[in-house]
Amino acid sequence: MEKILLEFVSCCRADGLRISTAEVLDCLVQLEITGVGNPLVFHTILRANFAKSRREHSAFERLYRLFFHEMQKVKLLTEPEKDAAFPEPGGSPYTSDEMKALSTDIMDTDIDQALMDFIKGNPQVFIAAVRQIHDQESQTAQAVKSNLGQLNGRLEIMLAINKMRQRMARFLGGPDAHVVNGDRKYLEKKVSRRLDTAMAFLNEDPRPDNAGLRTAGANEKPYAGVGEIPFANLSRDEMNRVSEVVDQWVKKLAEMSTLRFSAARKGRMDVQKTIRRSGRYLGVPVEIVRKDRPLKKGKILTLCDVSGSVWSTARFMLGILYSLQSCFARVKSHVFIDHPVEVTSFFMAHDVNKAIEKILKHPGINYSAKTDYGLVFQTFKENHFQDLDKKTTLIIMGDARSNYFNPREPVLEVLRERCRRLIWLNPEQERFWGTGDSEMPLYSHHCNEVRPCGNLNQLIDFIQELVL
Amino acid sequence: MKANNKKDVGTRFTGVLDVQERLGAAGYISSREISTIVYLAQETDKPVLVEGPAGVGKTELAKSIALCLDREMIRLQCYEGLDESKALYEWAYAKQLLYTQMLKEKIDDVVSTTSSLAQAVDEIARHEDAFFSRRFIQSRPLLSAISSPEPVVLLVDEIDKADPEFEAFLLELLSDFQITIPEIGTIRAHTRPFVFLTSNNYRDMSDALKRRCIHIYIDYPSMAAEKRIIAKKLPGIGARLLDQVVTTVAGIRQLDLKKKPCISETLDWAQSLMILQKDHLTPEALDQTLNTLCKHRADYGVVRSRIHELVAG
Repeated sequence: MEKILLEFVSCCRADGLRISTAEVLDCLVQLEITGVGNPLVFHTILRANFAKSRREHSAFERLYRLFFHEMQKVKLLTEPEKDAAFPEPGGSPYTSDEMKALSTDIMDTDIDQALMDFIKGNPQVFIAAVRQIHDQESQTAQAVKSNLGQLNGRLEIMLAINKMRQRMARFLGGPDAHVVNGDRKYLEKKVSRRLDTAMAFLNEDPRPDNAGLRTAGANEKPYAGVGEIPFANLSRDEMNRVSEVVDQWVKKLAEMSTLRFSAARKGRMDVQKTIRRSGRYLGVPVEIVRKDRPLKKGKILTLCDVSGSVWSTARFMLGILYSLQSCFARVKSHVFIDHPVEVTSFFMAHDVNKAIEKILKHPGINYSAKTDYGLVFQTFKENHFQDLDKKTTLIIMGDARSNYFNPREPVLEVLRERCRRLIWLNPEQERFWGTGDSEMPLYSHHCNEVRPCGNLNQLIDFIQELVL
Repeated sequence: MKANNKKDVGTRFTGVLDVQERLGAAGYISSREISTIVYLAQETDKPVLVEGPAGVGKTELAKSIALCLDREMIRLQCYEGLDESKALYEWAYAKQLLYTQMLKEKIDDVVSTTSSLAQAVDEIARHEDAFFSRRFIQSRPLLSAISSPEPVVLLVDEIDKADPEFEAFLLELLSDFQITIPEIGTIRAHTRPFVFLTSNNYRDMSDALKRRCIHIYIDYPSMAAEKRIIAKKLPGIGARLLDQVVTTVAGIRQLDLKKKPCISETLDWAQSLMILQKDHLTPEALDQTLNTLCKHRADYGVVRSRIHELVAG
């Protein structure tokens, strides 16, 4: 049982699940308590130990199905261990000389080897190869960008599967067939099923079940007129009106947050002050003085798309965030079109309007470039990963329209794991998410919260929740 | 660790089925999966990390376990800014100061025999344990749970709301069932508490914390399970109304809502319908009682626009 369990753990690890030795040991102890006779209990125990969040369940279930159902390893748990490849009695042992001959005959590439192992019942290397395609982060410096990298990798494996199918057919049934008639049908069926499974596994696109995703919208609509007009459609007068409203509201919010922090001033006792105060009551500490200990403030890191209509919302949001700097421990900002540029210093040195004006003239921003979210996330990870920690809320503002470039959503998953919360604000209305080149449905799997944020009411609702 | 004497029989579960039966008797309809995890957590002394949407019965599970094992339940509600002085212990400074005042004469006696300031300080230092002892500690939920002479159920509720530092601070407790107080030393648990941690997925838990727990995800119940829960909690409900309530709630959960109705809201709704003496559901009755199911103004609109379709089933 240990051997099979360890093989399964290796497969899980190859697919990116983080399973520690302690968890494997826990699992073995628990299996010893319950026994392995009941498949439901067996499944429950493995899942409880190896997939410790809802997000990991879909990957776990996919591997469990492959390993214990397609590879039929469950049967082996209750039977004495025998050849893992084809356990049914009557079938040819898979490690026969003929198969060995075939193995050495067709091993052209690593993928061929991985496929051969997969057919034999050891899917680990194949899983790792498929995982590599999903995680592909290369192609940063290509002249012509595309999302063909993943497709190319996938195509290579598909071709290898087809090649393997043809060779197997020749091996089993052609004029040079190595297999005796009695075994042929059985082997044909088995090999074909394994290759079908490999193909299905390759074509399955694993998506984490984002059970905790908040899809909040503006519940309250405090500003009926200008509050509902999309930022991109504001006229000059409306823009001024919105700016006035924002200024008033920022002041009000700053006052509210001060109240919140002062209400929280109940920390440890200040011994020095308490003893001093006790002098008034003949040394009896009647009044206990406590140290001021304001609530811990969060860090904010924003990543704003400055292309097209997104910028009209982003500029308001950045303006508000920097006006409310006192409510946060740190605010850092980056803007991007095809790569991120840090603009924090502009907001620190100038008032908001001047800062925005200067950012728009920043030579580092290539306004003629096409938006490429995948590349932006990749570059951000390479250059600014150290800015993220478990106290940082990462706010991405953008329409997620990536011009059909590689979306590289696994990079976003890495960013999510590094920060406290990942919030995506999309200035487009929800009904347009996922249309055309919008990668919003894909990215939302990796966010803690997604919100439409295209008008004043929506923006105010979001900032209020962030600050209070 | 298994129940091997008579005393253990009531205070420990004897198997997965026993968990299921006793939880059922305590009013909690548990799936086979939940029962298995609870039994294994008991047998291996592991904390259970319960994830799931709000209102599916995560906290209720811990309460029911406490009820059927006849244990006290100690609850620690987590929130942003929670620290060890609220969760673990705090020195009773006022009491310490009061004691120093009351024992002033005694302290004078102790130092009266000394000839220099340094000697006086040394003499006082020899007695400092008197003021930094268990007597002056105010226990908070975690310390109470591990120093209780009788085993308890410890519920660390909404752990995802606490800061990551607090999560790190829990690690010692969850792996070794001990905590360290610098002035006193390490306090080990007299009895192992049955620990439940609940999370609504506001943020991801650290790998270190997850590694120490058995994980279970409780989702919205299936229609059959929800029917059993309602029938158990509201025995007077008619079969037709019960069917309609469960079907309608399942339909509402399919809609794109800000907050999907949870089990407790379904129960509230069913109870409201019973109070209004409805023996079957009509679109008007749903409209009239919608506030027990939907907690967001935007959700009202979504449900109202499909009200006939939902009630027709």
